[in-house]
Formats: sequence, C-alpha cells, structure tokens
Amino acid sequence: MHATPAPARAPLLSVENLSVQIRTDGGLARILDDVTLAVPRGTTLGVVGESGCGKSTLLRAILGILPRGAMVPKGAVIFDNTDILEDGAKSARGRIGFVPQDPYLSLNPVFRAGDQILEIMRRHAPGTRRDHKAKLIELFRAVQLPEPEAALAKYPHQFSGGQRQRLLIAAALACDPALVVADEPTTALDVTTQQEILALLRQLTAERGLSLLFVTHDFGVLAALCDQVVVLYAGRVAEAGPTRAVLDAPRHPYTRLLLACHPDRAEDLVGIPGTVPAATAQPEGCRFHPRCPLARPACHAAPPPVLPLAGGRGVACPYNAEELPEMVLA
Amino acid sequence: MPEILGASGLVVELGARRGLLRHQAGVRAVDGVDLSVQAGETFGIVGESGCGKTTLARALLGLQREADGEIRLEGRIVSGREPATARRERAAVHYVHQDPGAALDPWWRVGAALAEGLTIHGVRDPAEQRARISETLAAVGLDPAFAERYPHELSGGQQRRIGLARILLLRPKVVILDEPTAGLDLSVQAAVLRLLRELRGRFGLTYLFISHDLSVVRRVCDRVAVMYLGRVVEEGTARDLFEAPRHPYTRALLAAAPRLPPPARAGGQGDPLQTSGAADIPSLPGDPPSLRAIPAGCRFHPRCALAEPRCAAQDPAAEVVGPEHSVACHRWREAAPVPSQHSTEPA
Repeated sequence: MHATPAPARAPLLSVENLSVQIRTDGGLARILDDVTLAVPRGTTLGVVGESGCGKSTLLRAILGILPRGAMVPKGAVIFDNTDILEDGAKSARGRIGFVPQDPYLSLNPVFRAGDQILEIMRRHAPGTRRDHKAKLIELFRAVQLPEPEAALAKYPHQFSGGQRQRLLIAAALACDPALVVADEPTTALDVTTQQEILALLRQLTAERGLSLLFVTHDFGVLAALCDQVVVLYAGRVAEAGPTRAVLDAPRHPYTRLLLACHPDRAEDLVGIPGTVPAATAQPEGCRFHPRCPLARPACHAAPPPVLPLAGGRGVACPYNAEELPEMVLA
Repeated sequence: MPEILGASGLVVELGARRGLLRHQAGVRAVDGVDLSVQAGETFGIVGESGCGKTTLARALLGLQREADGEIRLEGRIVSGREPATARRERAAVHYVHQDPGAALDPWWRVGAALAEGLTIHGVRDPAEQRARISETLAAVGLDPAFAERYPHELSGGQQRRIGLARILLLRPKVVILDEPTAGLDLSVQAAVLRLLRELRGRFGLTYLFISHDLSVVRRVCDRVAVMYLGRVVEEGTARDLFEAPRHPYTRALLAAAPRLPPPARAGGQGDPLQTSGAADIPSLPGDPPSLRAIPAGCRFHPRCALAEPRCAAQDPAAEVVGPEHSVACHRWREAAPVPSQHSTEPA
C-alpha cells in the first residue's frame, strides 16, 4: 500500500496500525485491529467488506467521531501530516467532507435544505453569509441540481432521492475539503440514479483534484469508481491493492470466496460456510481461519501480517488462494 | 408448462376517493399489465422505485383490489371479488416480505410467530403445529431449536429463512418474493438464493421474484418482465432480455447497473473506469416521472434517446419480437440488438 508512485509525497490520509476497541456488556469488542491504509492525493480508495467488518468504525475514526468509550490502544490517523486522533480531528475540521449513506434520513425535514448546508459553512468556511450563498448556488450547479437558485429555499421533501444525494454531496463539498469520505452513498438509490451519482462523483473528484475514500459492499460500484481497494474482514485488512488486480486475481481466501458469491461471477451460488464472528468473540490468530478451507494449524496461532506482493498489492495470508480446492468454489 | 398465475389488462388504482361532493381521481399504479407465470418457473419483475412492482404483487395476492382486468389462478378467474373473498381464493399465493425482521413481532418467539400462521389457516392442534414447524425449520436449514429464539437473536440471513419458513408452513404454490436479497451481504445472499432454488424443487413452488438487483435476477430467473410507470415494457427469457434487450428503457437499466468485470487472465492493469458500462453509456436523463403526471403516448418517451414525434402521440402496444420475447416500443427494430456490455468482455 505504501509503495505509491510518488513516495516523496506523503499520502493525504493514512491510517497506520489502527486498533479500536469498545467495552460492551458482552465483553471487549475488538472492532478494528491493526488496520493500515492510505489515500494518496487525487485518488479514490474503496473499502469493501461485509456487515460487521468495521467499515463504519473506520469512517468514524477518520471523521473524529468515534463513539464515546471507544478506546484506541494503538495506531494513528494521519491527515495532511497531522495525527487527527491526537487533536480530536480539530485540525481537519471542514477539510474532510462526508457523504452519508441514506439521503432520506440525513436531512432534517423541518429546515430548508439550503439553510442546513449554510449552517455548516457558517461554522467551518470563511466569508460572509452572502459569499456562502453564492458559493452554494455554484455548488448546486456543479452537482447538477435543477434550478440551483430556487433549490436554496426548498425543503428536503421537495427533492427526489437522487437530488437529495446531490444536495448531500454539495454539503460535503461546501467547505472545500481535500478529502471526501463517502459511506455507501448509492445503496438507497435506483440503478439509473446510482449511475448518475457515480458519474458525478467521478467528475467532481477529477475536476477538483479531490481524494475520495469510498465505503461499499458492492463490487460493481467498486470497480466503477475506485483506483485502489482495501478488503476488510472482521476488523482486519485481508487484502489491498489496485482494484482491477484484486478483482481479477484475488489472493486472500476470503476475497476469493466472497467474489465467488457474486451473481456475476459465481459458477454456482455457494456462500461462505459459517458467519462473521461477533466483535466480542474474534478468533485468535487469523480471524478468517474458522471459515477458511486453507486453514492450517499455524493460522490459529498469530494473525498473519499484510505481506507485500508485486504491483503494490498486499495480502494478509501466507498461502495463495489460487490453491483453493476447486470443489470449494464449485 | 401450464400457467399457474396470470393477469390480463390488470389495472390497480391507488388513492381514489369518491365522496358525496368531491371525486378525487386516484393514480394508476398498475395500468394494463398482462402477465402469465408458468408453474415451476421463477418469474422476475424488475423496475425502479415507483414502477408498480409491489402494487402488482399486492393485487395478485388479493390484498389490493383491482380496478379493471382479470387475474387467473390455476385456470380459475379470481378477480372482481370482495376483499375478504379475494384473499381466501388466493390462499395458494403467498408473500415473503422485503424485510422479514420487521415482519416479526419482537416480543414473540419465532415458534409463536410461525404457529400463528398455522392457526389462522386452520391447523390448530399444538402437536401437529410443533411437528410442522420443526419440519419446516429443518427445510430452510435451521435447527428446530430456533423456534425458542426471539427475532433480535437472529442474523439477517436467519431472518430471511424464518420469513420463508413462515409461508412454507402454509403449503403455498406460488410465492411472491419482494426484494428477497435486499440488505444482505454477498455471502449470505448466495446462501439464500441457493436455498430458494432448493425449496422450489423440493416443494414444487413457483416464484414471482421482485427485485431491482439485475445481477441477481439474471442469475436466478427463467423469465423476466421489465416495468416502467405501471406498464410492462419488455418481457422475455432472462437470457434474451439480458443479452439482447430491445426496449430503450431496458437497455438503459442494464447499462446503468454496475457489474463486476469478468476476471481478465492477463496482467490485470486495466483502467477500472473502462470495465463498467457506467462510464461509456449515457445515463438516463431525469428522475422517473410521477404517476400523477403520466406522459402521453409512450410513457418513456421524455427520457428516451430514440423518441420521435409518433412516440409522444401514440401509446405503443406490446409486439412479439421473438419466441417468448415481447416489447412495447415503436422503434424496437431500430434499436438493433447490439451485444450489450453484459455479454461481452470489455476490451
């Protein structure tokens, strides 16, 4: 992951050996464990994984909004050369934009959409309200909302789902962020709307030189948008690398089995035996070993480190998933 | 195969009010749908939000009264009945909710929720209820001990299985599955789809599979109907429809769906943007129009790249374009069946 083309320039965001734990009634939940990833400037990184893999907690750590009581026993989140875990993300305020998952739940229905975004700008962007309004209209135009001037005075219910997601993208861009973090922003949308939103995100990131951290569980969306991908399983990085290379030839048994579940890929629909472990009951050693057809005694002992591979890839498994018995996938 | 469930010219109106002084016209959520589902097949219905998929399902179930048209079940006409009779006559048709977790009472053990359905449908002997529940839980791949659990103790995949068990208990012939994989993780989705296929063979079921996940529909359905604003615009075998879509809407829908690129054996350094149709095919302009303002002529013409004056004036009728393949478009001949990006590997 760190073998970026321009090693002289530090990545805009890098998460280094981050672990996050929360004490719950059921015991200590080890939600993230030793997660390392980087978003080089001007690139798009996809984080993919199933429910319970720690995607949301990772986002919250980056946004500086970890739940109260969350402990970070080790690790750092470095944004633009500053560890934002140290200063509670204060130095990153207004410089990381966030696009939430559900456009229907993320706007307050009793306030005008424009006012809600202007409030963010009042807190975090320099300039007067008049400047902000002018800028917001320009942003509405950039995200292709119809009638940008009139949109300022409308309430959220007056917009369709796709338009609301455009509003939220405008809100994420309102303070000229360097990084945009998006949490599955298209899951609540129809495919044709999703296509438009993905095209918009591609266009905006290219035009504005933004970096994008995109969380998804949809490999199709991932392939359409992201340069690099990190596959999480049960709070640990399973595999990372250029999207196309990982999708073409997954090296971690989990990635390979997961891709084999995709209806576009599957020879036959199989699923992966077992379930994702609860965060309070993570297995010792490799967290995937109880479900892994390649598991050997050594896998029970210590979690495998992310081994570097050619082509800027990394995989947290000493074995080659190409060796997975074909019968498991068939 | 004989038809098990069918509809002709089905119209469903929602929200119509006929008061003493005021008549309020409703919207036609389903407007002239012809459908014929063969026994033993999986018939897919796809379309965007608001196209009338769920309203169609409710009308077929007898939960929503049809305004016009005919519904046939196992050769009998079952439409035009009073609400109570309508549902009773269609006891062979059952419905699996989109979110089975929300469809279970959080205060009831799973076993009680399952037994309630049996009681309502006339199986009142507790011993027989218990026997049938254990048998059905085993059929959906759950331990009979799950009857003692509460809904919150189940995972998403287990909730789907309970949702299926709930209707299998009632020995249905036709099962309407409303977004059966929405919100499931990939690995769980694969297991649920596999289970659905096993159950179909084992219990001789027919599925009406409502979904907006085109990858899944392509994978599991035998025939597919594409709905747009209350109409079926194209219908055909899953193979024909996905490999040679004729209606411009179907083609836009297929092009918009992000697809996993097939694994390229060599190198793997391709530009990721080139691997998805999302990049090179123009997207469908505009949001889906509202049912309150249905365009004249072809309903799709305001968003259609092939629209001509005739399309705004005249409503196209369904035309047969091949065996088991029909399309409602004036210009389907011009829409030459270019190999869609779904069937070819991008260069």
